[in-house]
Parts: sequence; C-alpha cells; structure tokens
Amino acid sequence: MSKVKCDHCHLEFNDDVMIHDGEYRFCCNGCRGIFHLLKDEGLESFYSKMGDTTLSPPTEQFEASSNFDTPAFSERFVTRTKEGLSQVSLVIEGIHCAACVWLNEKALHKMEGVIEAHINYTNNKARITWDPDTVKLSAIIDMIRAIGYNAFPYDASLQEVRANKERKEYYLRMAVATFATMNMMWIAVAQYAGYFTGITQDIKTILNIAEWFLATPVLFYSGWVFYRGAYYGLKNRLVTMDLLVVTGSSLAYLYSIYITVFEKGEAYFDSVAMIITFVLFGKFLEVLSRKNAADTLDIIGKHIPREVSVVEGDSIRSVDVNEVKVGDVIVIRSGERSAIDGEVISGEGSFDESNLTGESEPIFKRIGDRIISGTTSIDALMHYRATKDFAHSTLSNLVNLLENAMAQKPSIEQLANRLSQHFSSTILFLAIATFWAWYFWPHSFDRSLMVGISVIIIACPCALALATPVATLVGLALGAKRGILFKSAAQIETMASSTMVVLDKTGTITQGRPEVVYSTIHQPFDTGALYTLVSSSKHPISRGVMEYLERTEEGIDSCNIEEAREIPARGMVGRFNGAMIAGGNALFMQELGIDVDTSSDKSLFYYAVNNKLAARYELRDLPKERAYESISLLKNLHLRVVMLTGDHEAAALRVANEVGIDEVYSHLTPEGKAAFIDQAHSEGHVVVMAGDGVNDLLALAASDIAIAMGNGSDIAIEVSDVVLMNDSLTSLAEAFSISRKTYTLIKQNLGISLVYNSITIPLAMMGYVIPLIAAISMSFSSLLVVGNSMRVRWLYK
Amino acid sequence: MDSWVVAMMLGASLVLGGIALIAFLWGIKNGQFDDETKMMNQVLYDDEGELNDAANQQRKREELKKKAYKPE
Repeated sequence: MSKVKCDHCHLEFNDDVMIHDGEYRFCCNGCRGIFHLLKDEGLESFYSKMGDTTLSPPTEQFEASSNFDTPAFSERFVTRTKEGLSQVSLVIEGIHCAACVWLNEKALHKMEGVIEAHINYTNNKARITWDPDTVKLSAIIDMIRAIGYNAFPYDASLQEVRANKERKEYYLRMAVATFATMNMMWIAVAQYAGYFTGITQDIKTILNIAEWFLATPVLFYSGWVFYRGAYYGLKNRLVTMDLLVVTGSSLAYLYSIYITVFEKGEAYFDSVAMIITFVLFGKFLEVLSRKNAADTLDIIGKHIPREVSVVEGDSIRSVDVNEVKVGDVIVIRSGERSAIDGEVISGEGSFDESNLTGESEPIFKRIGDRIISGTTSIDALMHYRATKDFAHSTLSNLVNLLENAMAQKPSIEQLANRLSQHFSSTILFLAIATFWAWYFWPHSFDRSLMVGISVIIIACPCALALATPVATLVGLALGAKRGILFKSAAQIETMASSTMVVLDKTGTITQGRPEVVYSTIHQPFDTGALYTLVSSSKHPISRGVMEYLERTEEGIDSCNIEEAREIPARGMVGRFNGAMIAGGNALFMQELGIDVDTSSDKSLFYYAVNNKLAARYELRDLPKERAYESISLLKNLHLRVVMLTGDHEAAALRVANEVGIDEVYSHLTPEGKAAFIDQAHSEGHVVVMAGDGVNDLLALAASDIAIAMGNGSDIAIEVSDVVLMNDSLTSLAEAFSISRKTYTLIKQNLGISLVYNSITIPLAMMGYVIPLIAAISMSFSSLLVVGNSMRVRWLYK
Repeated sequence: MDSWVVAMMLGASLVLGGIALIAFLWGIKNGQFDDETKMMNQVLYDDEGELNDAANQQRKREELKKKAYKPE
C-alpha cells in the first residue's frame, strides 16, 4: 500500500487511513483544521518554508485558556511596560524549524492589539507585548494553539534577565576593547620602528595622540568592570586582582598623557589597552561558564500543577492551587499529578510515588489512604479531601527546601582568587618600594615613576587572569567529548578537591529496573501466552519478565488472549485457549488459592495456569556494567565512597557487596539523605553526590558537586552541576580524573605566570624594561599559558 | 612627507573604523545577535511579506501612541 504524506504535518501514513479533503490528505482532523486556518489567514507559504521538516500532529488536551486571564496569573507572569502595555514570557512547545518561528510570529502579528511577538529559536522562549484594551491574553494563547503549538508561561525571573544583560554588557565592552587594541597594534608598529630607526618628535606625538584617543574608551568603558571590582574590594578591605589592574593601567595611562603632552620619553598607551583587553577576556570566559541558576527554578515550577479540580455541590471547577482550603474535595484523574496533600474519600487506584520515595513499584491506594502531593495517579480516578493547603503540602515544602539549599550551596574559593590577593598586594608593595628606592638613589621624579609603573605593567596579571579560565575551558571540552557535561567551570576545581563521593543506589549504581535472575519452571506452559500477558502491563516487574522472555526464548510472538485485564497491586489475568492464566505477586496467588514459596529476598513473579503454579521468577535490580571497576577506581583516587538508599537494608547490602562499597546507609528519606550530606560537611568533607531521582534532589542540592545521570528526572539534571550523558559509572570515575587533570593544569598555568613574573619583575625594578619589552613579555606569557592548556587538549585527543 | 598627512590618514581611518564599531554595538544592543540560529535563517525571510508585516507593526504602535494622547 502506498504511503502518503499528510499535507500539514508531513508525516507518512497509508492512503486509506487518511482523511480525504478534495486534493488534500490529512492524518487527523487537527491537521486539517490548522491547514485550513493557515490558508484562510494567507499563511500557506509556511509549507514551502518548512521544507522537509515534519511536525507533530496537534494534541487536544489543553487546560482552558481562560486561566490566562485570571488576576492570579497576571500577577505572577504578566509585566506592564512604560507605555501601559502588557508583556508576558512564554515557552512555545512544538517548534521544529525556522518556519515554525516565522509562522508563530506572523500569526501573532496579524492579530489586532499584538504589538510585538519575539520568539527565540534556540530556546523556544517567546516574549509577547500586547495592548490589554484591544486583545486578551487568552485570545493570543488560543491563536498559538489553533496553529498547532502550545504555550506555557514561565517566570522570566530577574535572575535570568540579569544574567543575559551581564553577558551582553561584556560583549559590548569586549567589542570596544578588541577594536581599540587591534588598531593600536598597528600604530605601535610605527612607534617601535621609530624607536629603533629614529622618528621625529612631531610624528611621535601624532601617534601618541592617536593611541591616547584609542586607549581612553578601553580604560574607562571596557575597564569599568575593574574599577567597580576594585572599589567593592577596597570597601571590604580586600586587595583584589582588579585593584592591581586598575592601578597599573590608570597610572600608565596618566603617565603616558604626561609624556604625550610634554613630548619626552615613551608612552605606554598600548600596554594599558592590552592589559584591559586580556584580563577582560579572561573575565568574560568566567562569566560564560558560570551556571545560570534561573532556569532551574523555572523547570521546578513546571512540575507543580497550577490548578486542581474541586468538587462544589454537583459541579467540578478548576481552582488555583493557592485558593484550595483544608477540607475541600479534590478530584484526581489518571495521569494527573497531585498538588495538595489529602485523604482518599472515594475511588481507588495506584499511584506512582517514585518521585518522592524512589520506590519503583506503584502504590495501591483506597479509601482512607493518604495522598502525597507531587505523586502521579497512574490509573486512579478518585475524590480526596485536602488535609493541608498548598503552601503546607509536601510538594511546596520540598520546593522551598530546595530553594533554600541552592541558595546556601557552599562555594569553595578558587585557587586563583586566593593567590591573586597575595600577588596583588606583593606587586603593589614592590612597585611603591621601587619608586622610593629610585627617587632617593637619586633619580628624577619622572624616571622613578616610570620604573615604578613598569614594575606593575610587567607583572602583568594577563597570564594570571587567563590561567584559570583557559584551563577550565579545556577541561570542559575534554568532558563534553566523553559525555560528561560540567555545567560550570568553577565546579571543576571543587570536584578536584573533593574527598567524599556519595552514590544513590537505584538508577545510579544499579540499572534502576528489575531483571530476572532466576527462574523455576513447575510445569510446561506456552511462553507466548505469558509473554502476551506481561507485555500488556507497564509495571516494572512485568517489563522485567517480558525482557527476560525476549532474551531467552527465540522468535517469541504474542498470541490472542481473551478478557485480559490488570488487577491493581496484584497482577494480570486472562483466558488463553479456554484456560485461565494469571501472573502476579504472592498475594495474588494466595487469593487464587495457590500455595507458593515466598522465601526470597528478591521480587517474585508467579505464573499460574488454571490455578496451578507453572513458573516462578526471581527479579532484582542488577548493578550497572563495570560498576565494581569504577568504584575501585574511585577508591584509588583516595575518595571515601558511600552509598545511600531509601531501600531496605538487605537489598542495599547485597548491591554494596557486589560493587565493593563498604559504607552503606539504608532506609533514608529524601531529607535524611540531605542531612547525611550536611553531616559530612560538618566533618570537613567536600562532598560529591551522584543521583538520578527526585528523591535525591535535596541531597543533590546540599552537596558541593551534584552529579545527575542523563536519563534521570529533569529536575535532578537541572539541580546538578555535572551530567553524565551515558549514565555509566565509568564516566563518573572519568569525571573525577578529568577534573583533577584540569586542576593540575590550573596549578601549572599559575606556576608558569608566577615564574615568569619572578624573572621579569627584578628586571623592571632595575629599570631595564622599555615599553616594547613590556608589550612582548605580556603577550608571550599569555601565549605560554594558553599553549600549555592546549598541550593537554592535544594529549587527550 | 608632512606630518599632517599622517595625522589626517590616521584620523580618517579611526573615524571610519569607529563608525563600523558603533554600528556593531548598535546591532548587539538591538538584540540582533541574541539568537544565533534565527540569525542564520533570517536571510530566508525577507521578501515583500516581511516588509508589510514590519510596516503593519509600526502602524499599530503609532495608533497606540495616538490613543494614549487622546484627550478624555
């Protein structure tokens, strides 16, 4: 049968299942609706713009758009501009290509009252400005949905705005500095040529004035950050690197003006510009690799439902979570996440609590059981009574704890910062001492001042400023190639000096899903029937059995089972060839009147045909591949390796024995894990925590370095500092070795620049340094540092 | 060679370079380099429709201004 492309989404389907509409073919009514809408609006050139991209067909489940007009919503997300317009930041879902961006912007611009719609293609975030008197936000949202996308709001929190602004500010400053310095270089060529071959004083003055003209914006515009830094440093009684940069460059600048005006000696304008540019570049690298905390809290916000359905008399109404009172009756449907703690009053079904407890098995709940906010209903439709309001529910508490933990995250002062303080004060002292020594020797004031300044300039902090950022960038690149993403460069150093690594069990050390390790066949049976039965369930145990059957039985195929159904917290039953087949746990078998052997510390799955036990499978969560080797690698790095788990002790100990961990703590709540980390901190440990689930969140946030597995939950990845894309423990060990190598590199780089200075500073103090030598040494020391870092990169290619 | 020639050439080239720099700074401030992916695609979308669209937005903005100044 021929495959035909849907005219809207471009996905291919068989011709006979398509909706035929004249010459057009659509896969669903959603696609047809959008196609006609675009045609009516005159936007059909979208299809020629999108080229070969395919779209996802529209989905219909949206919360009512009228929610976007409520005062509560606008208070939280909508801002007012000076002109009295409203502005909102949205994340648009479903953007696949540049044409999608074009279509959204175009469709919104066509609406009366929408003043500006700007969509960022890279992160799918949109900023929409509209006139609230002409159009409502709900109408705008409806338009976005009508053309097949969805939008949800995010708090464009001040932090993110500030981070972007800071970055942009640096771009501007760097553009000015680079422009001026590069132009100054060719003027400097003329200067140096003149220095060696002779130059008339008037030409020299012209060149000096041109350099003066170029150096001014560099020092006062690009260099403003250093003045600011130096000022705040002095306010806190600290001699910072900024102060050294500022004193050196300002003195050199003033001295050069003096030279230019009175037409004697050599000007230092080029050194002024070069110092500022190099150090600014180093600072910019730091800003670039700093972690943006703003996005994290956005993502957490996305996981909290904003509304719940409350029963009022006979009707059900959506209510903002903050307006729910204790005692209100709330409806929860399958697939929904609960936002408020409560007690079930009618209905039953299973809940996924893995979010909070890490327990992979669904929990069956009936009347009288407690509902914990943040857990997801798998198949339950139930009414429950709120026992707490939103602010006091488990989920809000967790988010609050998390925000606190992240705000208080310990930071270890970087080596370069510690060093630069001593370095700066030493150099300033030496410069002043040199000046007085020369002045009393006796030399002229000019000459003494010039020698004093040359000490500061030659001690050029360029190499020192570049030492750390360049090395960490190399480290970041090395990690990225191996699927280890360091989110922030500063963390590499912290990780290198860590003394303790804490691992979560489920999903970090183990694979996070049960596998059949032992099977007993009591009587022969048709494996195809069992295979079909288990594949009908999404329960991890059934999945484990299914994978086992696929692995062991060749060419297994599903067959027809009648009346198959799942019994929550028990198992599955069905009818095959007239025989009743049942698979499930021990409780289920006992209810069927079958006596089973329950003596095992593993999860058990039984299969019965016509109420006779046919097979028994033992399943357990196995450690990941090469776990033992990786753990021993970590131990060889002299790290204290600890395993934490919410699981019971027997299971924890068995896994620990297998992978070679001696220190195990079981039965821990999420708060307990975090408390353990705090305890370790108070013992003076620098703690690295690796985990994957929401139940590890608090511990991750409390640790010095949080490592998340790539397939862990979104929030865990957001909270973490390092992400291991391939989930393996081998890359965990590798992350440690990379961070240590990078740290060694940082130390080498700092060493190089210090050794360099210890040679050049005495020369400067003796007065042997002319501007040319200052410039050359500055570039050369920076090149040495960059070259040394690159060497490592080539070494580990 | 008279020194004023050097001065003039230096001055002229610095002014020209300065103009380019100011244009670049204006571009950064204006957000033209904010979205690298969109920037690369922008060249595909600059036909008549886009100009009309831009003019339309301009018109809406001006109408709004007029409305704001309207005496009650």
